[in-house]
Amino acid sequence: MPSKKKITIEPLARVEGHGGIKVEITDNKISNVEVRILEGPRLFEELVVGKTPQEDLNIVPRICAICNLSHKYAALRGLEKAVGVSVDSTTKLFRELMHHGEMIESHSLHIYFLALPDFLGYDNAVAMADKYGDTVTKALQLKKFGNKIMRMMGGRMIHGENPIIGGFGKLPTKEALTEIKGEALELLEFAIATINLLGGLEIPDHMERETQFLCCKPPGEEYGYYGDILITSDGEEHPVENYKNVIKERVVSHSFAKRGQYNGKPFTVGALARVLLNGKRLKGKAKEAYDQLVTDRWYRNPLFNNHAQAIEQVYSLEGIIETVNQLLASEDAEIAQPTQESGIGTGVVEAPRGTLIHHYEVKDGKITAADFITPTAMFLDDIEAFIRTGGEQLLAKNQLDNIELQFEMIARAYDPCISCSAHIVEVVFK
Amino acid sequence: MTATDKPKIGIYGFTGCAGDQLLIIHTEDEILNLFGAANIQSFVMASSNPIEENLDVAFIEGSISTKEEIEHLHELRKRAKILVAMGNCAVNGGPQAMYTGDGGYEKRLKKVYGEGVKFMTDPLEAKPIDAYVDVDYYLPGCPISQPQTFALISRLIHGAIPEPYPHPVCHECKLNENRCLLLDETFCIGPLTLGGCGSACPNHDVSCVGCWGPNEDGNFGQHIKLLESFGIPKEEIMRRIRGFGGSKIIKFIEDGGK
Repeated sequence: MPSKKKITIEPLARVEGHGGIKVEITDNKISNVEVRILEGPRLFEELVVGKTPQEDLNIVPRICAICNLSHKYAALRGLEKAVGVSVDSTTKLFRELMHHGEMIESHSLHIYFLALPDFLGYDNAVAMADKYGDTVTKALQLKKFGNKIMRMMGGRMIHGENPIIGGFGKLPTKEALTEIKGEALELLEFAIATINLLGGLEIPDHMERETQFLCCKPPGEEYGYYGDILITSDGEEHPVENYKNVIKERVVSHSFAKRGQYNGKPFTVGALARVLLNGKRLKGKAKEAYDQLVTDRWYRNPLFNNHAQAIEQVYSLEGIIETVNQLLASEDAEIAQPTQESGIGTGVVEAPRGTLIHHYEVKDGKITAADFITPTAMFLDDIEAFIRTGGEQLLAKNQLDNIELQFEMIARAYDPCISCSAHIVEVVFK
Repeated sequence: MTATDKPKIGIYGFTGCAGDQLLIIHTEDEILNLFGAANIQSFVMASSNPIEENLDVAFIEGSISTKEEIEHLHELRKRAKILVAMGNCAVNGGPQAMYTGDGGYEKRLKKVYGEGVKFMTDPLEAKPIDAYVDVDYYLPGCPISQPQTFALISRLIHGAIPEPYPHPVCHECKLNENRCLLLDETFCIGPLTLGGCGSACPNHDVSCVGCWGPNEDGNFGQHIKLLESFGIPKEEIMRRIRGFGGSKIIKFIEDGGK
């Protein structure tokens, strides 16, 4: 008789949304791994059909609270292409500032509150406060700062409507911008201290395997969080309009999911992919952090996504300072108007947890088709593959203590956003 | 107070964006106090190892969108003395409920998933939680507001009775001394929408989109006529009013249309 064992982790804690992990072991070998999405479908792609671009912008950020402005930004980039809107350079800078704010909000939430408790042996960040009071207090400050920028640019901390087609409803004053810059300068020290904190952690290696990476190629020579080209770790570059040929949807018998694969294999997106593919473009303190932390192991170990996010915290704080300097010397922004009623547009940004695609077809001012591919949809296969490798290694070495925690840490490292992927429900074919 | 006599609280998320739970996590000035004042037994977005026992208060975010969620909701209702619907999806069904009841759900589902699949748990057309269980308090918002949330939590954990807040967005917009967008014949549904957001959107010169759901005292009939007089097609007005009110808003639209 084969021995069979099942490990079920449900609910998967300290992630956004309702999910779980199921691992089946037969004869001391991993026979099945499923990252389960337990939220109901919301069918956003169908909800926006028949609506105007502006209405779409009100609705789609509700896909996800943590990265609501990334959804807004990706939608803006797609819709503005479709209806022929070209925004001025000042508006572009304000959007970059907005996006930096979201990166800091999301990354600080993930690093200190969702991921770090695992490495330090706690159930949650509040419980860490006794021993790591200073880190928790400063992490709250950093997160609050990210939220402040999201509120300033978005119009509200979560689900603000200030970003509109062609620009913003209202822009911050020069005084408010100067204040933001001062705070970014103060927080930089803590972001750098975090690089040292993470650099001192021992990172398990049981799950290590080769994978592929994908992210946007930012325009120009700079590091950044958006672009019209997708780059992959095989050195290829793909115009975003071809996204359907790059990211292939896959259906399997145990699980029907709009799961993405590249070249028929799983891939990683997110801070780790961005730092590995574009890290040579980093400057300043972020470059120093990159030189200090990045090793060959990063290509095989998803836990370093936490470290990559820490590098991006430094990059974004420096980015805020630089962007504010540019904005203070810029002309006033104008709201750009649509030049056409019909068209097609693919908008891509890097959400904190990875590449986010919004594709729209607009006819006579109304959306006729929409397609959203979220980072979590892209990396679920990759999580499963790493859990499988890790499980096999741990079984072979008979290291079964805390095996659930080891699996959870892999999943959490990706910072999965289950709300975003809620149209990925586990299904069984009849 | 010891951990045992502190009020026991559970915070749960069903189908939604998790924005209401996130808002609680994002209350940087209050989150440590909250964990100190109450016994947070279950809040899986923030902490591992939940304790699932009887609760003094259960806060529930999200719409009910699968069969498994109905069962879980009933189970929570049984062990919670007080149950709070938290956020628009729990209160009204959220944006995913904007077409609930129109008969097109199966078609939309098939369009996204294709034919011939059986789900592990049956998906359901999104509904608010009071479609299935009694709700003691409604905490509206998309997302909920921090001052309202902490006022409610404080009262509930100290045994005080929460106060209703029956004011539209316009009430707050006036207090903020914004110029009324309707004076410029711009679409806005602040008069029909429950306040509490502090008129977040009109403060930025952008229209209220109705994300807190219907304000019971709103004069729907007259406001729809006003928007029509701006030259906005009735079809567009109705579509935009229905964005965040789920099927609950239909009653107000129908009553107002009389």
